[in-house]
Amino acid sequence: MLMSVAPRPENHAALLMAIAQRQDRQAFATLFHAYAPRLKAWLQRGGAEPNQAEEMAQETMLAVWRKAGMYDPARSEPGTWIFAIARNLRLDALRRARLAVEEPEDTHPVALADAILATEQRAQRLRDAITQLPAEQAEALHLAFFEEFSHSRMEARLGVPLGTVKSRLRLAMARLRIALQDRI
Amino acid sequence: MAHHPSHATLLACAAGTLPEPHRRVVAAHAARCPHCAAVLREADAMGAALMETLAPAAMAEGALQRTLARLDEPARPEPQPAPVSLDAMVEGRRWRPVAPGIAMMVLIRRDQSDSRLDLIRVAPGLALLEHGHDGQEMTCVMQGAFNDGLETYAEGDVAENDGSLEHQPRALPGPDCICLISTTGRLKPRSWLGRLIGPLLGM
Repeated sequence: MLMSVAPRPENHAALLMAIAQRQDRQAFATLFHAYAPRLKAWLQRGGAEPNQAEEMAQETMLAVWRKAGMYDPARSEPGTWIFAIARNLRLDALRRARLAVEEPEDTHPVALADAILATEQRAQRLRDAITQLPAEQAEALHLAFFEEFSHSRMEARLGVPLGTVKSRLRLAMARLRIALQDRI
Repeated sequence: MAHHPSHATLLACAAGTLPEPHRRVVAAHAARCPHCAAVLREADAMGAALMETLAPAAMAEGALQRTLARLDEPARPEPQPAPVSLDAMVEGRRWRPVAPGIAMMVLIRRDQSDSRLDLIRVAPGLALLEHGHDGQEMTCVMQGAFNDGLETYAEGDVAENDGSLEHQPRALPGPDCICLISTTGRLKPRSWLGRLIGPLLGM
């Protein structure tokens, strides 16, 4: 199959709202094609067998359908919201507890269109920042993110002392957090 | 709040790659720390962006049709999130005295990642065994406060040790100091007290 050009994520927010408001199956199909293969790739990278990853990617998309009414475009970009759902389902499967991370109170209510644009711009800056990370920081970040996290394993895989691993991750996180900050 | 988990730990927690005992310590801290809650939310955005760096894996033939056919199935109930209050953690469990003024409660026995989760309760003024670590250890203060010889840790604070440190935490005056402690690998008790209670602690 040829690589299709995914619609921009601002449209993804509209698709989630179409599901929430009128159970739009066409919108769901579009989101399915955009996200399910990436979810499956992420699950396999984390150690799932292909058929298990396939099943969990489908389960995630089912949850996206059911929870679409809870999606708040002012809080997160669609990819972030869908990733969090997949991560939680994976935690359930691994018998690890979910975290109840509290959302901050809205301090500056803004128009929906502005909010969607702002979250999309943040996501784009983040993608750019990841591609611009120095190779050694990107390597540490990928390892911490995709594989079972343990200090000794990180040291062995990267061939540097733990202090160096931690400082690479700290630097990488600092760059990415700057990319997430809104500019005025 | 003066002491937080490292960025590496928060990232692994958001990714779901942190072993469960450590994850529960982060949960206890993040429930009390808006700063780390914000970092965890940011890490979700990082996760989504990192996921996009992977080459997509083709879905099985008919995957969309099968999923569409299931859209009207009822949702399964979702599990409760990790307990973050001391009351919720101790409910239905018993403290086990291990030495005068010291009690323990096992929350998670050593798991596949060689990690475990315990609560430890220490009377004011008492010192714990001086110990070093082979692996990672994370502590969140649930009640009271302790000083490890260098720094003071109060309620909600996290002390994260990485195997290189030797320390002797001492509970400060006030209520009993209760800590949630996740440990990977084994402690290396050095003092006579450590030799005495180490076997009792099962560490």
